[in-house]
Amino acid sequence: MSGGKNKRSKRHEGWEEAGGEFYQELYPGGEQELFDNLQRADAAKLATLLPSKQARTTTSKRARSQNERRQSTFARTTQSRDIHLSMLPDLSENLSNEERTWEEIMQIKAMPVPMNQKREIKSRLQNATKLRLQGLEQLQWRQRKALHRFRIRFSEIVGKFELWQASLREIEGKFGTGVVAYFLFLRWLMFLNLVISIFVILFLILPTILLDKNLECDDFENSTICCSQAYLQRNLTTSNVVLDLIQGTGRMERTILFYGVYSDQIYTYFLKNLWDAEMFYNMPLAYILIPITWTLFSLVAIVKTAAKGFKERLVENEGQFYMYCNLVFGGWDFCIHNDKSAKIKHKALFNEIKGCLEEERYKEEKQSRTRESLILMYLKRVLINLLVFIILIGSGILIYKIFNIAMDKLNEQFYAENEFLNRTEPIFNLERENTYTIMRFRLTLLEFLPFITIGVLNIFIPEIFGYLIGFETYTPANAIIITLLRTVLLRLSSLAVLLSQIYLQITDPNRIEKCLDPYEEFRHECWETYVGQQLYKLVLTDFALQIVMTFFINLPRAFVARHSNSRCLKIIGTQDFYLPKHVLDIVYIQTIIWMGAFFCPFLPIIGTIFCFLVFYIKKFACLTNCTPSPIVYKASKSKSLFMSVLLLGFVISILPVAYSVAEIAPSINCGPFRRYETVWSFVVETFEAFPYLVREIVFLIGTSTFAVPAFAILLFFLYYYWAVAAANRHMVEVLKNQLVLEGHDKQFLLNRLSAFIRQHQKRCERRNRASFADDDSSIQQHSSR
Amino acid sequence: MGQGKSQFTEEELQDYEDLTYFTKKEVLYAHQKFKALAPEKVGHNKNAKLPMAKILQYPELRVNPFRDRICKVFSSSNDGDCTFEDFLDMMSVFSDNAPKAVKAEHAFRIFDFDGDDMIGVSDLREVIERLCGPEMKLSDSEIQQLVQNVLEEADLDDDGALSFAEFEHIIDKSSDFCHSFRIRL
Repeated sequence: MSGGKNKRSKRHEGWEEAGGEFYQELYPGGEQELFDNLQRADAAKLATLLPSKQARTTTSKRARSQNERRQSTFARTTQSRDIHLSMLPDLSENLSNEERTWEEIMQIKAMPVPMNQKREIKSRLQNATKLRLQGLEQLQWRQRKALHRFRIRFSEIVGKFELWQASLREIEGKFGTGVVAYFLFLRWLMFLNLVISIFVILFLILPTILLDKNLECDDFENSTICCSQAYLQRNLTTSNVVLDLIQGTGRMERTILFYGVYSDQIYTYFLKNLWDAEMFYNMPLAYILIPITWTLFSLVAIVKTAAKGFKERLVENEGQFYMYCNLVFGGWDFCIHNDKSAKIKHKALFNEIKGCLEEERYKEEKQSRTRESLILMYLKRVLINLLVFIILIGSGILIYKIFNIAMDKLNEQFYAENEFLNRTEPIFNLERENTYTIMRFRLTLLEFLPFITIGVLNIFIPEIFGYLIGFETYTPANAIIITLLRTVLLRLSSLAVLLSQIYLQITDPNRIEKCLDPYEEFRHECWETYVGQQLYKLVLTDFALQIVMTFFINLPRAFVARHSNSRCLKIIGTQDFYLPKHVLDIVYIQTIIWMGAFFCPFLPIIGTIFCFLVFYIKKFACLTNCTPSPIVYKASKSKSLFMSVLLLGFVISILPVAYSVAEIAPSINCGPFRRYETVWSFVVETFEAFPYLVREIVFLIGTSTFAVPAFAILLFFLYYYWAVAAANRHMVEVLKNQLVLEGHDKQFLLNRLSAFIRQHQKRCERRNRASFADDDSSIQQHSSR
Repeated sequence: MGQGKSQFTEEELQDYEDLTYFTKKEVLYAHQKFKALAPEKVGHNKNAKLPMAKILQYPELRVNPFRDRICKVFSSSNDGDCTFEDFLDMMSVFSDNAPKAVKAEHAFRIFDFDGDDMIGVSDLREVIERLCGPEMKLSDSEIQQLVQNVLEEADLDDDGALSFAEFEHIIDKSSDFCHSFRIRL
């Protein structure tokens, strides 16, 4: 054994010597320097001399500053800075022109060196001889410089006008970037609504206000004009202004707030200045094109924003590779500036780390879990899912019942009120007024009852879900997603029940479909307006509930929690900012806005205002009512979460509208599509009037001769990209393996090298000692002589 | 801002604008903030060197678990004391406009506690301990496990430490880093 070891070490020596010679041959110039370095260097710290460690280039552009960078990171090397500065690439060698110099100056800021060195480099660059640019190049460079300066100024100005900057900063300092992402999302939604509103105002509301004129109703029998005339003049009974405002009835119903008032005319108008040209504005066409436009616009905006987040997620997700690194290196929000939040952030990170490790253990445990506990767990989950299902169905039924009851009562009231108003017998005016007010009040309450029910359910049932999820042993990340999904289901099912009820009402075969008598009243005579009113009320109710919850329920809770020492009260009072819930709040409002914007063109405008106000409400809820959540919300993760929920809401809101456009017959006495069977038939009719060529092209796109090849090509591309992606993934794996191998090689070589150095040092010592011995002996010889 | 303007010449401001990610106005604003830390000293000498303890009174730095490292990395005298120019450098790197690569470079130096140009096991342990704060303590085996996991994810060449290239690779893939490694002026 020992013999073998000896032999091997001998062979090593031989190898090392040969290696040394080889090295000397290969690098004759640097040899001395290298050896000096090696001798000085600690053999253990050899790794720091590797070129890969020396040249930390982040971008190829910055290669020039390498030496500089080295120096600053390695301040512990003995050489002084000046020497290194002089080692900067000599610019006079290859004369650079002004533009390049300027570019280089712009890049100085990326160097990690103190300011005075930066300044030195800058002045060096500025003073270096350089070629002046001539002619066109000079002009281009000037332009570039000006553009650059302009961009900086512009972004500065934009930054100054950036909405809510101070608020966002405050939230960021207290709650970290995940919560700020939510508020940015809210702001984004507001701008989306604003753009939609601008579309609506420019192309629907303004033309109606400016161009609308009343047409005379000459032939009474069957004309739509007369029908709408009758509709518009009817029911203008005086009633409470406030009630009308919140219900969208009475006078409000006849304003441009709702579908019913928009005209079916093709407006003609003369522009006196423009050669007396006659211009047309096709109101029905505008009324169908604008919703299509904003639908597409919203879709593009969502997809574009979602795609950005999705790409990030995809990169990140590549097998969940960097979860821990992200946690460790990106965990701390450097923007936190508040002691209490810092403490909570520490705690949150601690929990997250624990959770991650726990999850790992959980996964291992899962494999080794006994059958009984597995069955028990699944049983629990099935039971709870069943319970959730029952709750969902129950709330659906509740809404259904309440809606029906409210409708029945309303119809009764409606007729009662009519009777009451038409009564001619003399009563005391005051008494009559009182009874009337009470009646109206009851009516309003009934009108709002279904919406209040929906709102209250939306507030309380998610709490139950949140409680239930604790029993199903999901991982924390999955728990959030599942709770979110259930809450979305709740909200959507309540909406679905409401819509189906409305649908039943408006497709009621008993519905009077004519306009015989202008003085006879009946309900839902213009069903689009009716739908618009319902959704308008829903938005208002939801908004009101938000205010009530924030200021009248949660604020006292927070107050109690802050100023009492009782533990029980503290549990009731403390609330943390549970992000998914708040996301749902605004996505829900947005969904209703999309749904109702066709029937009530004012909804986007109302939505813009609400988003604006909701920002302050949520800010208040966040800063005053809540304590930072002990869950870590990652900005990137939450962003993609918001967008996917929003996309879901979008699809769900557009579907019923699309159905109504395509299938349900519009009312005959109101709105822009009075004469048509469906709204879509108007589109088809308009399309028929297009030039022959256009029609042919569109038809061609619809036929199989076009669709099949197009589909095939798409499939082909899809396959191609898939294949490329697969190949890349494989390549990444190969390269990774290779990296590991290279790393091993490197380590092996380093070990060898350090051993060699040690040996070399030893040999030198020995030689020295020998020469000393020689000297000694010669001295001795001298002395003895 | 009138006060701030008198302390700088136009030329200096131009220099600062060229050499940081700030505009002139932002530079002046940064100086106000710097001055607020030690009004008298900075009032006398606009580029006064403030001791680390003073710099750490800046709100974001006060609660930051890596505060001393940040100061040391940006200090031109390497002892944590910062002049205004160092402070400006710091804010420039932490600003929104600084590219990821620049942020990564400095983050690497902040996390590299022992200064050997590698983020080794001991550095990682230190980072994790600081992240969890002084009150919470992970057990030794947990830290061990976490360090192990981090190295498994990121240590491409398997040498038991993260080199800068490896660190930058992580940062490149981390979408949260840019959001979190940021201090608004």
